[in-house]
Amino acid sequence: MIRRQLFGIALGTALATLAMPVWAEDPVKIGYTMARTGLFAEAAPSQENAYALWQEQVNAAGGLDVNGVKRMIEFVSYDDESDPAKSAQLYERLITSDKVDLLLAPWGTPHHLNVAGVAERYGFPIVGNTAASVAIREVQPGNIWFPTSAIPDKIGPELAAMLAEAGVGSVSIIANVLPFSQENLAFLTAALKAANIEIKMSENYPPDISDMTPLITQMKSAGADAVLALTYPADAFLYMGQARELGLKADLQFMLIGPTIDAFNKAFGPAADGVVTLAHWSPAQSDWPRAKPFFDAYVAKFNQEPDYLDSALAYMSAEILTQAVAKAGLNKDALRQAIASGSFDTINGEVRFEGVQNSVTPTAFVQRQGDVTELVWPKSIATAPLQ
Amino acid sequence: MLDIILSPQLFFAAAVLGSLYALIGLGLNLVYGTMRLLNIAHGDIVMLGAFSAFWWFTLTGFSPLLALPLIAALGALIGLGLYILLFRRQLAQGLDPVAIEARSLLLFFGVSVVIQNVTALLFTATPRAYRHLDEVFRIGDLAMTGNRIAALACSVVLLTAMLVFLKKTLFGVEVRALIQHREAARIVGINVEKVQIVAISMGFGVTAIAGALLSMTELTTPFMGFRFTIASFVVIILGGLGNIKGGIMAGFLLGLLEIYAVTIFSAEARSILIYGCFVLAIVLRPQGLLGIGKKV
Amino acid sequence: MKTATVIIAISAAASALYFLGLWAGPYWQIVVLNLAMWIALTQSWSLFSGLTGYISLGHAVAYGLGAYVMASLFREWPIWLIIPAGGVVAGLFALIVALPVLRVRGPYFVILTFGLAELVKFVLLAVDTALGQSSRLLFGAPNTQTLLLWMLALAVAATLLRHQIGLSRFGRGLIAIREDETAAETIGVPITRYKVAAFALSTVIPGMVGAIMALRSTYFEVLQVFSPTISFTIVTMVIIGGSGDARGPVMGALFLVALAEILRGLSPKFYLIFLGLSLVLFVIFSPNGLTGLLERKPR
Repeated sequence: MIRRQLFGIALGTALATLAMPVWAEDPVKIGYTMARTGLFAEAAPSQENAYALWQEQVNAAGGLDVNGVKRMIEFVSYDDESDPAKSAQLYERLITSDKVDLLLAPWGTPHHLNVAGVAERYGFPIVGNTAASVAIREVQPGNIWFPTSAIPDKIGPELAAMLAEAGVGSVSIIANVLPFSQENLAFLTAALKAANIEIKMSENYPPDISDMTPLITQMKSAGADAVLALTYPADAFLYMGQARELGLKADLQFMLIGPTIDAFNKAFGPAADGVVTLAHWSPAQSDWPRAKPFFDAYVAKFNQEPDYLDSALAYMSAEILTQAVAKAGLNKDALRQAIASGSFDTINGEVRFEGVQNSVTPTAFVQRQGDVTELVWPKSIATAPLQ
Repeated sequence: MLDIILSPQLFFAAAVLGSLYALIGLGLNLVYGTMRLLNIAHGDIVMLGAFSAFWWFTLTGFSPLLALPLIAALGALIGLGLYILLFRRQLAQGLDPVAIEARSLLLFFGVSVVIQNVTALLFTATPRAYRHLDEVFRIGDLAMTGNRIAALACSVVLLTAMLVFLKKTLFGVEVRALIQHREAARIVGINVEKVQIVAISMGFGVTAIAGALLSMTELTTPFMGFRFTIASFVVIILGGLGNIKGGIMAGFLLGLLEIYAVTIFSAEARSILIYGCFVLAIVLRPQGLLGIGKKV
Repeated sequence: MKTATVIIAISAAASALYFLGLWAGPYWQIVVLNLAMWIALTQSWSLFSGLTGYISLGHAVAYGLGAYVMASLFREWPIWLIIPAGGVVAGLFALIVALPVLRVRGPYFVILTFGLAELVKFVLLAVDTALGQSSRLLFGAPNTQTLLLWMLALAVAATLLRHQIGLSRFGRGLIAIREDETAAETIGVPITRYKVAAFALSTVIPGMVGAIMALRSTYFEVLQVFSPTISFTIVTMVIIGGSGDARGPVMGALFLVALAEILRGLSPKFYLIFLGLSLVLFVIFSPNGLTGLLERKPR
């Protein structure tokens, strides 16, 4: 399989070289850092893959349209070792010493917040993607934008609304102690109380937990209508396997992060059927004509499904950049203006920004139904009813 | 509450976890005990075992359990290679244990960085997983997933076999002699070189097997190893360094602690309890909880 | 060398680094900041572990505590006060745990300090969860240039401290403990008092370093600042440089930081692999560290 990929890449490069006109423009240098090692290394590939796919597609189509001139994309990237401060340092390097033309975003909230400072200092516009925290609202608007709608203060109320509509009267919650889970827990608890949904159990657990049998036994005996596991990827895996072993039954099962990872479905197959999770994109939404082609191209290139959250967001951010550059070129001021005021057609439908945030895409949830991941909430973009 | 504590479900979970900890600890103990090498790349061997099992299953479709001997051989080969390339000469110099510990710490730190990043480069850091033996068997209240039963069974068989081997064979006696007194072992005519080679190969071999077993139930990634490095050091320190039987007991103890501490107190306190017990145990018994008061 | 000469030489080197950082631009300023950080950390570590032979794999705790103090008090206290507070908290913590911990020796001590660091990390994680404070934002921190100046001051202080103590009666006592603890006791070295004092002293500057480094990032998370990598890197640098005197840690830090930058420049993709390989080759070909390499007499 790897050999086939390598062959594909070689062939692609060869063809690209042949197709390149003699008077080719200089390539556009695009920089980013990625957590290739360290704490977040497992999460980052789904984002970097989307970048690679975007680069391949744009170059295959003749290059990035810069004010009407097509130029090839060349990446300059570094490993930030999952250290947000190092990421900021390397973005300085990308701007001052590598002299890149454009920037893509690093992985995760802490990195985005650090890089935001660099963007501000140099007046260099960056379209963010995989940051999801109420903290992004504290960032000075102007040079960074966040297309995500997966922000805890919106997730809590939406989740409570979905549960209420599904007739859920009581829930059991377990939550990782790491920031994203805890932020969600706070807003979710408040929203559940407001919606008069009883919380039968609410427990936290540390990130390095290696067995959840006691926790799940407790959830089982609590017997709530819905179980909400505010997980990170590694513990999502542990939870799912052991909930299955113990036969944890509930009308609705929600997990925060994890089920949108390709390996999750590979490991659990039909057992993951019905699990609801956080994501605002699905290839099943036919109102977004670019969604399915992206999904197919990703699967063809990487032999796995894109992450419904991270890969989609990363690709969206690249699409937004593409469209802004086509209009405004590489001049920073023009580009900033174009991103801040433009309307973009992405795999996730239309995106527009107000301040640092995407004001169009609603906060949403998806559910694995058979072989497809369907959007089940909110109704405005749902592709299938909640099961 | 009491019925939960006494439930066979918790005991099963503790046994699965404990047996894997014991196996990984045993691998480390063989290497540390005979050679005084502080192998902080130990968890990375677990990772390589897990990756081998993943690729074996993905490419051939056969059960990774069938590939265990092959995976063990791979682990052994890596151990042998590292021994010949890095440690043979160092060990032959007759340095004092403190110098060997310091150097091996540094060497294995480098080795760990290389193994992780080469793996990430070859296979990307994308988390991997596969479905195998995932039917759930129920006996009364007890539910067990097939792959967890397999992991438990394989590790218990392997642990027993290793114990018997170290206890009953001449080679086992030589290994234990080397652990207890390096110089004396040389004087009484034990072929130290041979014992070291077999010890490192066996140590790495069982560790790779533990990784393969883990891959059936956990996410496999190039950076998963560090957790197991820590766990294995906790195990062999609790059991007393170089104390094979003590280490195995400590592995199971850690499994029990992990499950019952969470049940009795809370999941949130899990890591505090584990490290708290560990720190307390060493402070109270500086030669290891199960150590035999041997002067280190 | 006379103390005055040493002070002048070290301060001159630090000033040179500072102006080098200013001249070379923002990226290199941070590289110099990191170098100064590692020198401050390794000198402090060597003050205890190098002299006594008790290898601590838990100095990330001091760094983490300092950073935690900074993140907690950032909006409450003036920054110039929080930095020493970070050092004091780290030192106090070391004092409290010193007696029981220092009874343990050899590899048991190594892993014990590591376990202790993890314990503190998870306790603070639980405290933050209970307070509903899973992450903190530190907007409006001083700029890199200021942080660099402070960090260089700490690096100079740590180097001088290590140098002076190495020459003092206290230092000779610590070395005696490393050679043979029982013998040291019989010749009248107050071993417990010395060990505890050195242990606590070796965590004060790392606490201050942690407090300053927390300001480098606008986002604070407990898991980041208690990273075991910090402890491992400190030990690696000192073993590379040698711990016999105050030169070793400086050379070890300089070597690893320079190597990392060179390799990153040459090949961002393979940089960590090359770094790991270099480390292995280094130990094989120069087992006694950089100081050993310099002192090897021509035959």
